[in-house]
Amino acid sequence: MVNLISKRKIWLSLSTIFVAVSLYALFAWGLKLGIDFTGGSLLEVTMNGQQPSISEVEDSLASENLHSLTIQPSESNGLILRFQETSEDVHQAVLSKLTSLAKKKGATDPALEEQRFEAVGPSAGTELQKKAIYSVILVLLTISLYIAWAFRKVSRPVASWKYGVATLVALFHDVVIVLGFFAFLGHFFGIEVNTSFVAAALTVLGFSVHDTIVVFDRIRENLPRSNQDFAGTVNMSLNQTLVRSINTSVTVILVLAAIVFLGGISIKYFALALLVGIFFGTYSSIFLASPILVVWDNISRRAR
Amino acid sequence: MADSLFSRIFLPKGRNKVWWAFLFVVILTIASGLVTFGNYYNQALDKYHIPLVKVKEVPFRLGLDLLGGSQLVYDADVSNVASGDQAQAVEGARDVIERRINVFGVSEPLVQVNRTSDGKYRILVELAGIKDIREAIKKIGETPLLEFKEQRTDAPTLTEQQKKDIADYNVKAKDKANEVEGKLLSGGDFAALAKQYSEDLETKDKGGDLGWVSTKDNKDLTDQAEKIGVGNFSKEPLMASTGYEILKVDGKQTKEVKASHILICYKGAERCTGDLTKEQAFAKIKEIQKKATIKNFTDLAKKESTEPGAKETGGELGYFAKGVMAEAFEKAVFGQKVGTISSIVETQFGYHLIYKTGENFEYKISHIVIKTKSAEEILGADAQWKNTELTGRNLKRASVEFNQQDNTPHVSLEFDEEGAKFFEDITARNVGKPVAIFLDGYAISVPNVDEKITGGKAVITGNFSIIEAKDLAKRLNAGALPVPISLVNQQTVGASLGQSSVDNSLKAGMVGLILVALFMIIYYRFLGLLSVIALGVYGLLSLAIFKLWPVTLTLSGIAGFILSVGMAVDANILIFERLKEELRAGKSLSTAIQEGFSRAWPSIRDSNFTTILTCIVLIEFSTSVIKGFAVTLVLGVLLSMFSAITVTRTFLRLFSERWFEKHRWLIGYRKTN
Repeated sequence: MVNLISKRKIWLSLSTIFVAVSLYALFAWGLKLGIDFTGGSLLEVTMNGQQPSISEVEDSLASENLHSLTIQPSESNGLILRFQETSEDVHQAVLSKLTSLAKKKGATDPALEEQRFEAVGPSAGTELQKKAIYSVILVLLTISLYIAWAFRKVSRPVASWKYGVATLVALFHDVVIVLGFFAFLGHFFGIEVNTSFVAAALTVLGFSVHDTIVVFDRIRENLPRSNQDFAGTVNMSLNQTLVRSINTSVTVILVLAAIVFLGGISIKYFALALLVGIFFGTYSSIFLASPILVVWDNISRRAR
Repeated sequence: MADSLFSRIFLPKGRNKVWWAFLFVVILTIASGLVTFGNYYNQALDKYHIPLVKVKEVPFRLGLDLLGGSQLVYDADVSNVASGDQAQAVEGARDVIERRINVFGVSEPLVQVNRTSDGKYRILVELAGIKDIREAIKKIGETPLLEFKEQRTDAPTLTEQQKKDIADYNVKAKDKANEVEGKLLSGGDFAALAKQYSEDLETKDKGGDLGWVSTKDNKDLTDQAEKIGVGNFSKEPLMASTGYEILKVDGKQTKEVKASHILICYKGAERCTGDLTKEQAFAKIKEIQKKATIKNFTDLAKKESTEPGAKETGGELGYFAKGVMAEAFEKAVFGQKVGTISSIVETQFGYHLIYKTGENFEYKISHIVIKTKSAEEILGADAQWKNTELTGRNLKRASVEFNQQDNTPHVSLEFDEEGAKFFEDITARNVGKPVAIFLDGYAISVPNVDEKITGGKAVITGNFSIIEAKDLAKRLNAGALPVPISLVNQQTVGASLGQSSVDNSLKAGMVGLILVALFMIIYYRFLGLLSVIALGVYGLLSLAIFKLWPVTLTLSGIAGFILSVGMAVDANILIFERLKEELRAGKSLSTAIQEGFSRAWPSIRDSNFTTILTCIVLIEFSTSVIKGFAVTLVLGVLLSMFSAITVTRTFLRLFSERWFEKHRWLIGYRKTN
């Protein structure tokens, strides 16, 4: 049997470092919010001829006076344009400017193909931000309520609500790390955070709790018949569920890694967020949530 | 509690029951397979001529990102609608948009009303596989907004300062107009001056060119043009509704003429039923020509003309434009003066005498506009109007009718029962006062109410041409929006991008699943193999349900499905680990299996339950991307509990304990005594 609990200081410090670094990234750089949240337009086009340079595109669009226009090449040999305006008129004007630029570059008909266009009005963006925050809070609330309910019969030596709190701490840990990771990606690689990122974050919450519950379930089951102290019982339970926790994560991570490396561009970062979140979710269910219970138990013992 | 219920359902006693369960799983698998791969099954039947019944092919329902298409989100502005009627008004707008969309032939368009957290109404439109989204947006936005307004009793008035501002502004405008006029008189170029000074933004850059304007389009304007004469410009600025206007007339031509005629046809001419020879016919028309005057022309036509129907019409042809009549006929009638009778004209139909009774001209006009300000502009066009309860929602039918007196077209509106009641109330309380009909925010008709109108009919008069009137009626019939809408979100995915995404993601999913299967088989050996088979059943079953439900598959939905496979495996891992643990504790195999399943159940239940809770929140999140993910995930989790437990367990129980004892390595444990 591996004695995981006795080394709890190492695990807790590791988690603290991860969370601190993530919080630093989050506050120093912030998340790069996509147009889903900020409002604005995203246009992806491919041209049927010689690819114009970025500055040529900028010049051809100069007369449109687009606000915060950014242009970058896309992976499918096209262009991705982002700008603040969202009206259909501007959209059409930009398309026609780009078409004539493509024709100037000797493109044959159809000179320009519109691959993707997204326009989010500024009010819709703020709305979505609000909605995203509400749903994260709602998920956290329902999950902790459920846990408090599921463990309602377990009250010695640690009260059932403490299981809920420990789960919440673990969840917070996982989500902060995912957010910090994407702040890092946004700062250095320009990766934006969009609606599906929120879905990924929420799924990580669900998954992490999934893992934590399995461990807590075992503790619940072992407590009445265990002849060890609380720390020992927790350690035994962790060992019994360790293989399961790792194997489950391995299978899910195998699937997600396949999507990250081979999947379509539109779900790549979605899968990446899940991958990071689930990895740390497993980590936290083994090395964070249960040690917290033990530490808490020790503190309240000393207080008595 | 849950344990006992679970065991009653999932743990039947006796070996027979296992075989029944196995049969059930097999039938379910075959049925799912037939649904999922129905098209391949049917193809195979054809290819090898197998005499079996074919299955109905059900396609997957694909979402926008996979199929290519557009999602549009409109904001419905209900600020003018009483709070109790808002939901209904937006529903009305939804119906109208749906009707308009049906014109494009989009397969299963989605049009739904959402409410945002702060109470705004949103109309979500999803058009899958649409070719020309631009046209669609135009068509949806083009839908007219019809409103009926009555006078505000508390209409705001201008302040003294505003009155003074208007007067000052208009004096300046007049000075400016006179300045331009001066430049013209001293030989300035009209087009250049228009470019420099005109405040009509639409024509300014074209040198003020309005193109050809016919009497029907704008009689006031053509009357002015007639007065000015071709090649001239107005020698002083004219007052128009929007401000001062200087006109230049570059051309005049006949647009339409009105005429009646007498036809004498001969044998061999087109459509002729008479039996006169050509010579006889010519003699006849000569004779009529001598008798014919303006006064007796119609009577003569009734009596003599061989044109079918001439007895009733008196040879009247009405207004016609160039290119309608036979060439010689057209040349003659467009050449002669109004009120004259032509000489004899020969066409393929015979000999004609033509009496020209009317003529419509069109003028090529340019203009320079210097705008003035009016009280209306300052106060807002509808400041003196307030909404009534009657809107386009109450419109039953619109049609074009003609005024009995002068034959001008107008649009007649017929209201539904509720609308008729509203209209009656509105007219009753506004007798002697005007009521305004607003179309797309502009007053198009402001009739005075003479008396209360019952019966639910109203008329929009205005300077319509027939074409304009017909177009308006058509637009109104297609649906007048009860509330104004504006496009706030748009998302378009080209089909090719969607396709490559799907291909890659499916490939990735396959690779991921194969890796998982290998891992399971290597680690758990025979148990792993069983779980992979159970996974296969699970996969088939989920896909079949996606087809039958039907679940709209989006890219994120596929991700949700793939993820749910991971969760399905998790249930098996939990059970197997528990099973091995029980074996290690020295229990017999059948007890270990029993314990493995029942002990693992609370964990599986609790963990999956939290996932389901999360998914429910996600579905409420209602962005379609996320919804797709959550729906497939929640279905997956529910099905995986069935597959991992019932299916795996059934397979496991098919093998006898003796067989396992012989092949212990299959499960990967050694007996520890």
